[in-house]
Amino acid sequence: MRVTFGVLNGLSALVLLVGLLGVVQPRFWALDVPLSLIALCLLVSAVGLLAKLPWALRALAVAAWVSFVLGLLVISLIVLTIVFLRGIHGDYGVAALAVSGLIVALLVPYTVVLPALELLWLKRQRAESRP
Amino acid sequence: MTPRTLLRLLAIWLGVLFVCSVSILWVVRIDRTRPPTGPYLISVWERGQRRARTVVASDPEHALVDETKRRGVQRIVEQIVDSAPILGHSWLILGHSLAPARDGLSASYHGRTAYASPDDLNKLEAYEHLVHWGPITLIMGIDVSKVLGVLSHELGTEPAELLRHGNFRRFAVISDGAYPRDFSEADVTLDAVKSSVLEAARYLARNQRRDGSFRYELNAVTGGDSDDYNYPRHAGATYFLARAGNQLHDAQLSRAAVRAGAFMKDRATQQCGAHACVGEGGQVDIGSSALAVLAYAELLAGGNEEFRAPTLDLAAFLRSQQRPDGEFQHFYSVSEQHPIDIQVEYYAGEAAFALSRAQRVSGDPRDLEAARHALSFLVKRSPLFLGARYFWGAEHWTCQVLADLWQRAPDPVALQFCLDWQAVNRNLQFEAPPAPDSYDGGISRGPFMAPRLTPTASRLEAAVATLEVARAAGVTAAQIELLEHQIKRAFAFLLRYQFSPGPTHLMPNPRQLAGGFPGSPIDLHVRIDYPQHAAGALLRYWELEQK
Repeated sequence: MRVTFGVLNGLSALVLLVGLLGVVQPRFWALDVPLSLIALCLLVSAVGLLAKLPWALRALAVAAWVSFVLGLLVISLIVLTIVFLRGIHGDYGVAALAVSGLIVALLVPYTVVLPALELLWLKRQRAESRP
Repeated sequence: MTPRTLLRLLAIWLGVLFVCSVSILWVVRIDRTRPPTGPYLISVWERGQRRARTVVASDPEHALVDETKRRGVQRIVEQIVDSAPILGHSWLILGHSLAPARDGLSASYHGRTAYASPDDLNKLEAYEHLVHWGPITLIMGIDVSKVLGVLSHELGTEPAELLRHGNFRRFAVISDGAYPRDFSEADVTLDAVKSSVLEAARYLARNQRRDGSFRYELNAVTGGDSDDYNYPRHAGATYFLARAGNQLHDAQLSRAAVRAGAFMKDRATQQCGAHACVGEGGQVDIGSSALAVLAYAELLAGGNEEFRAPTLDLAAFLRSQQRPDGEFQHFYSVSEQHPIDIQVEYYAGEAAFALSRAQRVSGDPRDLEAARHALSFLVKRSPLFLGARYFWGAEHWTCQVLADLWQRAPDPVALQFCLDWQAVNRNLQFEAPPAPDSYDGGISRGPFMAPRLTPTASRLEAAVATLEVARAAGVTAAQIELLEHQIKRAFAFLLRYQFSPGPTHLMPNPRQLAGGFPGSPIDLHVRIDYPQHAAGALLRYWELEQK
């Protein structure tokens, strides 16, 4: 699992950084700062896990909590925005609902499921390492 | 974290999210279908300006009656159907709290209330606030600065103070204004179509300058005229005018088309290598030349022989720009005298259509072959890519090439391409309900934005061309019925919003705008290509049904 989480966190950091620096133009601090921080946390934890460094589990815990909390926040904001716009504009059919649902569904695996699995695994690791 | 803790955490999060969602929905939604019970906003408009406004709870027929006795004054009554509070005092939330073209905004401050009705917001051009973020243009709801400006002025305070301490509500109204027109699919008769075409063509002829150019873009709510100009659009407008003159046997329209054609021929023609080309400056595009060929060919059909030689010369230029694979080099450097192999949307389809038309004049098999080859290139699709070469956007010329070539060089692959594209367009059409009645048939550009008329109109030009070929090729009756239904619904949408005569109370000079098609229900500008595409599609349909 250590290697799996290391690779997944490394990939997530890479996707975030490429998306942020390569796709989003021009620069906008409100996106740059939080996304860079998350990417940095993920990258550090990935390096720690793959290189089996002594602080790897601590770094993974930080990265997982940051991703988990921010992930829930981002999904909450998206859902509330969808609900707000639905209230303002009324029923415009299923297409808008489907697109909004797809956006949430695409985010959930990376922002909620992966960090939650990491946190569960960390708990087990700590239980096993106790004498 | 244990699994139990995780589940508990997620359950709490979901519960809070659910409660917040239901609360927001409950607070912000308004019921547009319920019988109106709110106050009446009575406004008196003169030459596009609101001269008086009163708000009454009942008996609106007695309010501001004396003010309407002058000639040219219009009295508009809007009754509030339902209203809802705006959440918070944030610029961002206020900006996104109104449905465009449908909602008004009221502000209460120190016991007084001011109203910005949908008419006021249209007059202010405040329904869409464009924010440019690098190459991206975003619509960030309404233009809060403009709206706060007028409301705070009426309430005797400053916009920032009103935003901080005012109470805002959005509201829906029913209005006795006659715009948009009540127009359904059943009203799309051939007489209505012909009348609409004539009005649109007369709009262009009325707004033509002495030198043959057009007033490029008129703003209906200010009466202002844009300084911009665009040769492909001039050529497109000329093409439509010439067609309308020929088909409807209207000498005034034909004369206007000749003047517009002469403007291109005499003032905007340059030398691109061995051939003539249309455009200005050190670089020209093939779109101007292609649409000029279409216009000249139509003028020739009306008996104007002076356009024969330019047609043939421009067609030769287009052929010289074609690559071996059928695609065109879309630009030519006049200053350095060489083609530029860069592509943008539309021009390849326009060039193919122009060459197809030119062959009818020249009888030159090279023109026909070039058009056929270009059409074949345009409709070729990769098995690895869902879309097409110019994606499933608004490239509406390809299917007109299909129709023009069908008798001389039928291309079944192109027919299937056009039928598929129209199926995609059907999916993009607004349907009422759930969409507002007046949007029914329009092509959606997103669920939270008012549809634009020209993307609907240009797709209609292609749809009617596809219908023509589908009938000739023996496509199934069910598919033809789908196309006909789609076309009529879209026409009804366009005719609803044509300025016939339009929201004249908002216009300083309604006569100048009569017959024009605006950009959208909230963009009351008329650019020369708006009537060209809308009435061009209608004229194509009228011609088809005459056969």
